[in-house]
Amino acid sequence: MTAAPSAAFTAYRVGDRLRPRTEAPWEVFGERMRRYEVHLNGRRVELVRGPIHLEGFGLRLFRAEGGEMRVGFAASNDLSDAGIDAALAAAGSAGRLSRFPARRVDLPSSVAAHALPVENRDPALWDRPVETLDAFREALLAPFDARKDEVPSFGSLRVTLTETTLTNSEGIQRAYAHTLCDLELAVKATGGPEGAAPGEYWVNARQRRLESRGLGARVDAWCRRAQDVRRTKAPATGATTVVLPPTVLADILPAILGYRFSGAAELRKMSFPSGARVGSEAVSISDDGRFPFGPGTAPFDDEGIPQARTPLLAKGTVSGSLDDLLYAAALGHTTTGNGRRDSLAFSPWSHFELAPSPQPTTLVVAPGSGGSDAELAEAVQEGLWVDQLGYAFPDPASSAFGGEIRVAYRIHRGKIAEPVRGGTLGGVVLAPPGEPSLLADARAIGGSSELTGSLASPPWIIDRMAVAGG
Amino acid sequence: MTVLTEIESDLERALRVLEPLTPYAEVMAESTGGLRLRLDRESRAATPSPALEGAAFRAWSNDMWLETVASGLTSRTLAGAAEALADRLRSAPRGGRPPGEPATGSGERSTVEQRREEDFSLDERIAWAKERFDWATAVPGVTNAFVLVQSIQDDRLFRSTAGARAYQRFHRMVGQVLCLAIENGKVETDYVGEGRTGGVEVLDLIDRPRVEQAARDAVALLSATSPPAGRMHVILDPSTTGTFAHESFGHGTEADQILRDRSYLKPLLGTMVGPEELTIVDNGAYDGGWGQIYFDDEGTPAQRTVLVDRGRFVEVLHDRETAAALGRQPTGNARRADFLSRSFVRMTNTYVEPGDWSLDELVREAKDGVLLEHFKNGIEDPLGGNMQLKVAKGRRIVDGELRDILPSMALSGRVLEFLPAIRGISKPADFWISPGFCGKGHTDLIVNGSGGPYLLSEAVVGPA
Repeated sequence: MTAAPSAAFTAYRVGDRLRPRTEAPWEVFGERMRRYEVHLNGRRVELVRGPIHLEGFGLRLFRAEGGEMRVGFAASNDLSDAGIDAALAAAGSAGRLSRFPARRVDLPSSVAAHALPVENRDPALWDRPVETLDAFREALLAPFDARKDEVPSFGSLRVTLTETTLTNSEGIQRAYAHTLCDLELAVKATGGPEGAAPGEYWVNARQRRLESRGLGARVDAWCRRAQDVRRTKAPATGATTVVLPPTVLADILPAILGYRFSGAAELRKMSFPSGARVGSEAVSISDDGRFPFGPGTAPFDDEGIPQARTPLLAKGTVSGSLDDLLYAAALGHTTTGNGRRDSLAFSPWSHFELAPSPQPTTLVVAPGSGGSDAELAEAVQEGLWVDQLGYAFPDPASSAFGGEIRVAYRIHRGKIAEPVRGGTLGGVVLAPPGEPSLLADARAIGGSSELTGSLASPPWIIDRMAVAGG
Repeated sequence: MTVLTEIESDLERALRVLEPLTPYAEVMAESTGGLRLRLDRESRAATPSPALEGAAFRAWSNDMWLETVASGLTSRTLAGAAEALADRLRSAPRGGRPPGEPATGSGERSTVEQRREEDFSLDERIAWAKERFDWATAVPGVTNAFVLVQSIQDDRLFRSTAGARAYQRFHRMVGQVLCLAIENGKVETDYVGEGRTGGVEVLDLIDRPRVEQAARDAVALLSATSPPAGRMHVILDPSTTGTFAHESFGHGTEADQILRDRSYLKPLLGTMVGPEELTIVDNGAYDGGWGQIYFDDEGTPAQRTVLVDRGRFVEVLHDRETAAALGRQPTGNARRADFLSRSFVRMTNTYVEPGDWSLDELVREAKDGVLLEHFKNGIEDPLGGNMQLKVAKGRRIVDGELRDILPSMALSGRVLEFLPAIRGISKPADFWISPGFCGKGHTDLIVNGSGGPYLLSEAVVGPA
């Protein structure tokens, strides 16, 4: 535990109850959470929530039978003896109906590799959540005091403080504490030339820390974009060279590559084999479970395996995949420490309700030779710098993505020019050789990286992107 | 699952702690359950829904709402959450009354299951799923199919210091078949899915012809050509029409957005915004609709609210606070995703009412364009008045005929340009409400139904 734990370790309490009651291999994942929320209506606080207490566990029972594994999962926030017994019975029933093509599963034992500490906690937030949240809210709203034409019209700050614990029938006991901060803010712009409709820029960020430093500059950038939205034109229709920054790529790559480069996809023959060329030489991507302050960063995964760095794509060539215990066993692999109870689609703040599956932590795109933002624009000459899509709607199966262009800028003669809005941009991330795809058509990657959600990446230049405009 | 009426005295006791400290307090206790069975060629997983129970307490303090939440429904956890809220009330300035009038009525309602889930054995569920899997994978070219059958039980009990008591028990059933076709690393899918408030009878809607059609279309999508891009005639299928209603008018008519001055619709109330054929409704009382509720989470009974009446924008959706601010009555749209989430003005079942065209007539009227089928997602833009919809597939329309299949597409455009371009809405026989989940912003996902018949208009479409 990297922070002072509470007296009660959720998983251990449940494990103590299970140990004499089941002979099958088992695992318990526990979370004990406090959550605090502030909801804004303009600059006014309209609702303060917290403490929101949630403590629960997810337990798995494993039984090998007939060359298959029967895995039963149940989750509950009832930690009474009766509640634990009910979950145990439910998992037992579920297991009898389930089947998975692994002959055995080796749960990590107490002599398994030691997990090194990681950075995934905001100490001030952990120690003084209400005061730290209030201070951040004031710092966030302060830059708006001097602005008459831009206001926060809708938003919330939500922080979650979690003690995660895990134990299993092999005797492993693991615990750590972490923080998660979610910011949603709609910045509305008015004023200026008479008759121009209001504009809005939507901010949606998940981070490990409430970082007040540089907030003024960030607010300036949000307000500028909200104003730019008011004087946009629709893009032209046709195949277009675009620059996609990490704010856009973060909605696309983790959801699609996290699945298609996983044991779950490999088992279903939806992945590309190791050594297959699926992208341009400019693209190298790893999954890094220890990336500083990444939302998926933890000392160990949700099955007790130390999280690590796993190369997925090296210069456009498939070099690895993500596994949890079960898929690794089914495929004859070794788990990569990616057994996670998460959903990239819904970004849950509690995880004990979900069974583990192979999932990405933080995807890290290696910086390339594309240089600065200005140099990327210069290389594009004519195209679009896409700042925000309404939503990219990533489809992990087909790898298709696409959505409305909410904020973009035309690149004209190698410079960022007027703002663009409307129409759609889309394509697929992965395609057979010779067909257009985001990975294959990545011409260059910028030189400096930024962590946005579950992705650390520089901006990419993509050729031949389908844009439908007015 | 805890029987909520059995802990009612604990809820009353908790409210009594708050009563001297606030002009108004309420509690929403919730208990959930259900079972999810999922199988494909490689694996089968039966997973009981998380047994989550808890209660959200809300009280007015001077000029804002304060909330705490209890995890679990024991006397200790309920008293603890009430005491934490009491502490905050004691340290906050006193005075003021909460906006609007509280609900004061009492009622109990439960979903009527024509075929009860308790009579649907686990073996029968597996047999149901296997049969759909076999139907899908018997189609040449389909390599796998993911079949889901899920039940959701959601019990809620609302009590307030104003005397309101609303006890409701929902039962929802979901069936889905996702068909998978793979060739040379290219993966395409199509699906058939239904979700409704009701019992096992809902699963009868996933029949063999629909599964086989989805399977054939998944295979056909492997060789489909790219969709056309640009502005064109579009026909929305019923699921996409529903998403249009939800994203275009639903979010913009949530009255809290109007009070925030964050709705493009605000200046348009009372004006004609579309053709006379267009009527858009939100209806929490729609029997069997996926988004059906009996009471909202402020204790107000669900109701049918006409938002656009024959082309005229006439009403918005309210909770007690927005109704008071705008001089209207609450419409039963104050909803929490669960006991862990706040209450917002939210939609329930939002739909376009039928017109009098046939699909064939709409296709002939369009002459050229695309038919958009199987909505996948949508997203709102309540201030800017734009919308975007994504569909899993479509058909090209050429010379007034439906032609080849098209892969996934996104539609985008300004709602106020899309509405006047509506040229036809199909008949009641095509009307259907589809299940979905809706966030406010990117969080607080709740169950929402959206539906309608086929609808012809004009918009920008591109690959997605």
